Amino acid sequence: MKHSMRKHGGLAVALLGAVALTTAARGGDEGTRYTFSKAPANSMGVKGMADLRGKPVLIDFWGTH
Amino acid sequence: MPASIKLQQEYGDALQVLFVECQGADQETAEAFAWRQKWMGTRAMWTTERPLEVGGNGLPAFALLDTEGKLLLDGNPLDMKKKIEAAIAEQVKKTKAAPSGTPDALAKTWARFVKGEVAGAIAECDKLGTDVALSGPAKTLHDEMVARTESTIGRGKWLTENGYVAEASELLAGLAKGVKGHADLESKVAAELTHAQDKSLAAEAEASKALASLQAKMTKDKPFEDANVKALQKLAEKHAGTKAGERAAQLAKLAAIEFK
Repeated sequence: MKHSMRKHGGLAVALLGAVALTTAARGGDEGTRYTFSKAPANSMGVKGMADLRGKPVLIDFWGTH
Repeated sequence: MPASIKLQQEYGDALQVLFVECQGADQETAEAFAWRQKWMGTRAMWTTERPLEVGGNGLPAFALLDTEGKLLLDGNPLDMKKKIEAAIAEQVKKTKAAPSGTPDALAKTWARFVKGEVAGAIAECDKLGTDVALSGPAKTLHDEMVARTESTIGRGKWLTENGYVAEASELLAGLAKGVKGHADLESKVAAELTHAQDKSLAAEAEASKALASLQAKMTKDKPFEDANVKALQKLAEKHAGTKAGERAAQLAKLAAIEFK
């Protein structure tokens, strides 16, 4: 199965940004509020960002293109 | 190899790296990509969900959260490599420190908690909280201790339910001694540990061990070479009905995802 990995245009990125604004939180403890709707790969039981309190978290935003 | 992976390898459990795919790939595609790049094999987690909004939509981008989940740094990691590394090193030193705002009088109590003396620390915290001057901070600290312990119990439960039986047993057994004396936490840990150690899960434990061994090999080889894919399919068949068997089947399917 081949995927067509076309670059996403500005509209897709803007929509992604808009979704992110409605789903992610900002404010002093912004890093602890989010709960994943689908377990991340390799989560080993981490259901949300609150489960990671006690250690620093490095979020690496990347893309497959 | 992304610098983040090297940092995850360097710091192990003291740091959590979370990769967030931002260009619309679904999780399976993102995982397949990461496997093909040989980026798997560390504790790093992989998702397509954005847990946090940071400035701009350009890539690459990063966000560094401190030990309490507060945003410390964000931006383009290529411009800030040394700053990121220094900040992580600083935060790792703080992993055992009490939450910010904890008065000195409660610091030793927190140190007991971090050492694993959960019940003792909570009891001591409650006792110190009878002092009016400390009642607010003591309650906050009490709640934090309970929340973190319940989070660990929750992880143990998830591990068992998803077939990571040995990992669940290890996690919960490690907690069991420390919660003795706190009736509620003790009973919760005991219940989950009993579940994890149930003989009916022996097949899950065997399957999980086999898959872990194969995945470790895959991270060193070309992950999706034919021999590995066939081994995954064989494992899925042999351990049909187990969670690890399901994961093996799923991983074999990821091998079919190709990239232009």
